[in-house]
Amino acid sequence: MTALLTAEPNDYSQTMATLNTDAFTEESVWIRRAQKSDSRAFESLYKLHIGRVYGICLRMTANVSEAEDCAQEAFIQAWNKLDKFRGGSAFSTWLHRIAVNTVLGRIRKSQREQDRILAVAQLADSPIDAGDSGELRDLSDAVGKLPQGARNVFVLHAIYGYSHDETGAMLGIAAGTSKAQLHRAKRMLAQQLKQQGYRA
Amino acid sequence: MNDDKITQAAQQLATDVTPERDLWSGIAAAIEAPERRRWTPMLAQAAVVLLLVGASSAITYMALKDSNSTQVIASPEMVFEQVSFGNRHKLGPAFQAVRDELAGDFELELLRLSPQTRQDIETDMGSIHAAINEMNNALEGDPENILLQKQLLRMYREELALLQRVSGLSRSVMMRNDI
Repeated sequence: MTALLTAEPNDYSQTMATLNTDAFTEESVWIRRAQKSDSRAFESLYKLHIGRVYGICLRMTANVSEAEDCAQEAFIQAWNKLDKFRGGSAFSTWLHRIAVNTVLGRIRKSQREQDRILAVAQLADSPIDAGDSGELRDLSDAVGKLPQGARNVFVLHAIYGYSHDETGAMLGIAAGTSKAQLHRAKRMLAQQLKQQGYRA
Repeated sequence: MNDDKITQAAQQLATDVTPERDLWSGIAAAIEAPERRRWTPMLAQAAVVLLLVGASSAITYMALKDSNSTQVIASPEMVFEQVSFGNRHKLGPAFQAVRDELAGDFELELLRLSPQTRQDIETDMGSIHAAINEMNNALEGDPENILLQKQLLRMYREELALLQRVSGLSRSVMMRNDI
């Protein structure tokens, strides 16, 4: 695992800041066109953002088919709400918030449904493939086994780089609760990885 | 593994993940035709045609109203009752006679109107004829469909009303000129 730590960490805001300025200009054009019901412009936005939106859904649900449904639903909701996007935040942040709400909504929708999802996930016994390799894959699998609350915070804060304030706002919890859930998540992950032979 | 190592490792997990299947097709279907699933294609088509004809009729009415302020009053003989309409979706001879008479005046009147008004009316009439054809075609496949029958009858009435408005305008103008 040590070798992995030498690489540059993900910093979402930093990554976005270093993106080509032209990409931002192009994105703003697509947004304006999509707001005028141009579905082809919206498809361009989809292509630009589907990776992260699907990634968030996959990490939060730990289930491929649920993540696919959530990602689709998130984009459909985004299309329906596009006129409400005023540019007060980055489009990606606005979109991620919709994706998170979609995941949370589906989880809340029905406890029976959630049980079914968990049952299917357990029956399948196949960890999600988010493209991680080696030791990172073990961590990814362990994240997928966290309790929902701890997992949500860990995904948004530790993986996607949102602050505790932002994470709390997205999940509808206090920043302090986000910190507590993160601590809990890390403790549980350390236990899981220790059982797999990783040293402290 | 301690907290710091987990934090640093987490920051290296993939954030962009490509879905295994194409998700756009489902999204495109939902955003481009959200209402289509609630309607049968035939009824949806009929509804669209009715809307178009209604809007077009309103435009024509406004154009006629603007082009000549003379009030057109339909003569009593132009009020007709459809005598045979049903599974054969054909209208009776009385209707045909009134329609033929009005159609002759209609052609004459069109020549007297401004190009813009004439174009509006022709567009309107074209929409009505297209709707009548659509209804007849639909009834070929579903001759007992009461809704389609009613809509076809309504289209015939629309056609007659437009003929009546335009032809009546011609008659009024002619009467005024005669004086």
